[in-house]
Amino acid sequence: MRNGRWILAAAVMVATTGLAAVIVTGVTAQVRTEDGASALTAVRAPTAAFVRQRAQGRVDWQGAVGGLRQSGGASDTLAGNLDRAEVDATRVPILLPNDAKLAAGARIYSFGDYYTITADAPGAGISLSGTTAVVPLPSSTPLKIEATAPEYLTVQRTVDGQLASFIRYGVLYSVEIRCDAPGDLRCTDDNYVLGLVGKTTTVVLGAAARAEAGLGG
Amino acid sequence: MSPSLPLTPRLALILAAGLALTACDPKTPKPADTPAKPPSAEPGPPKAEDAPVDGGAEQEASEPLPPSPTPPVQPDTPPPPSPATFDHGPAGALPTGQGSGYLDRTVWSANLCWPLKEAGFANSQVYGPGGGMGPAGKPSQCDSSNYSLPWRDNFCEARSRSNPLCGSGTGHQGQDIRPATCKKNEHWAVAAEAGTITDIGTYTVTLVAKAAPHFTYRYLHMQMSTLAVKEGDKVVAGQNLGKASNDFGGAPTTIHLHFEMRAGVAGLTTDGRPVALQTFLPPYLSLAEAYQRKLNGGTCS
Repeated sequence: MRNGRWILAAAVMVATTGLAAVIVTGVTAQVRTEDGASALTAVRAPTAAFVRQRAQGRVDWQGAVGGLRQSGGASDTLAGNLDRAEVDATRVPILLPNDAKLAAGARIYSFGDYYTITADAPGAGISLSGTTAVVPLPSSTPLKIEATAPEYLTVQRTVDGQLASFIRYGVLYSVEIRCDAPGDLRCTDDNYVLGLVGKTTTVVLGAAARAEAGLGG
Repeated sequence: MSPSLPLTPRLALILAAGLALTACDPKTPKPADTPAKPPSAEPGPPKAEDAPVDGGAEQEASEPLPPSPTPPVQPDTPPPPSPATFDHGPAGALPTGQGSGYLDRTVWSANLCWPLKEAGFANSQVYGPGGGMGPAGKPSQCDSSNYSLPWRDNFCEARSRSNPLCGSGTGHQGQDIRPATCKKNEHWAVAAEAGTITDIGTYTVTLVAKAAPHFTYRYLHMQMSTLAVKEGDKVVAGQNLGKASNDFGGAPTTIHLHFEMRAGVAGLTTDGRPVALQTFLPPYLSLAEAYQRKLNGGTCS
């Protein structure tokens, strides 16, 4: 059953956006290991290639513009209530769920290469984030998680909900739900968050992103 | 009460990549050559109202704790001494049966601001006295051992929640920190970095750092009715957020701050596949160094 749900969520994403190039930016972060060695140099070869690929490719703007065109009028409609200045400051493609109710009261906070959108659902909070700022892990730190689905989709159980991550257009996106009640079924299993990922396909490009994509203002 | 130590020059931290990020404490003095052993704060008297209704487990009773595999093999060569010289246990070390531990020795947030205004005690609110899995015969969360050194890492402590950096793939996802005394609603939690408050839940406050890689810090169990911030506020490092308490939605937990640090990371899975995701990073060493800077008289702003 679980695999079936993942395949469904992945199929929705692939059908609507195309299989994204799996590329991730390595951020030179203010991070150090205890022996003073760079975390960057400690990354194993396949991961280094993975990170280098992102550094060369940056955001897949061609794919993002394709997504924008597929989004049609939904892009303007769903983003209509977001703070325009924050949208325009965002240098990555913003993804929104095709859910007018959820988008209606959403708030966006932008840091240029990272944005997060906070939205309210009855008895729960939703966060939708996107970033190209990614920290490479040292080789001594492998991750025990399943990541075989398309777009490197992963889901993690948190203290109060579910956190999904995936890569699209060379950007790391996450979708999170946090529930007020511990027993809320939306948070106790991954059905809801995977459904939300499946419908998070509307692309919004603010002024900074449009300039990066070569679309002008 | 915050212990005070003589000011000394700052130890220059060796940064991994050299990107200048917003500094929480650019003038933090260097730790003393000899280990600094701050006095333990005196715990306040236990109160009936402090008893954790949920046993301090931070999860539903219906969720069984996962089995605890053998702790991971430690490196042949022990890591060099940390600038944090106050009495604290090693990163990733957990008592047998309490979780899988981890080998990561990265100080993920090298200029983290100690997230409490005063002293604090990093340890386990579940396995300590008064916790749901605490020692027999020590029912009070105000037991002096909870408010004493040494610190203990509990990032990978056994939980059913995802934690990909832990050997079992599950764990606690953050660090429990008890405030200076066993009194709720008295001790301020403060911003770990400059950034924006992006979400306030029923018992959570989320702060996203302005500087790349935009660490997401989550603070759990503050007194939510008296928060000093609201969603959308821009904060500076060290700014008051709220008071450490035991809020947990409905039933209270023990008096402590659950402190999480998340970021987008790229690496390999344990079976060698590349992966990138938003996930939890161990905050223990960043906290230990931040606390040492505070002990040395450093400030965050």
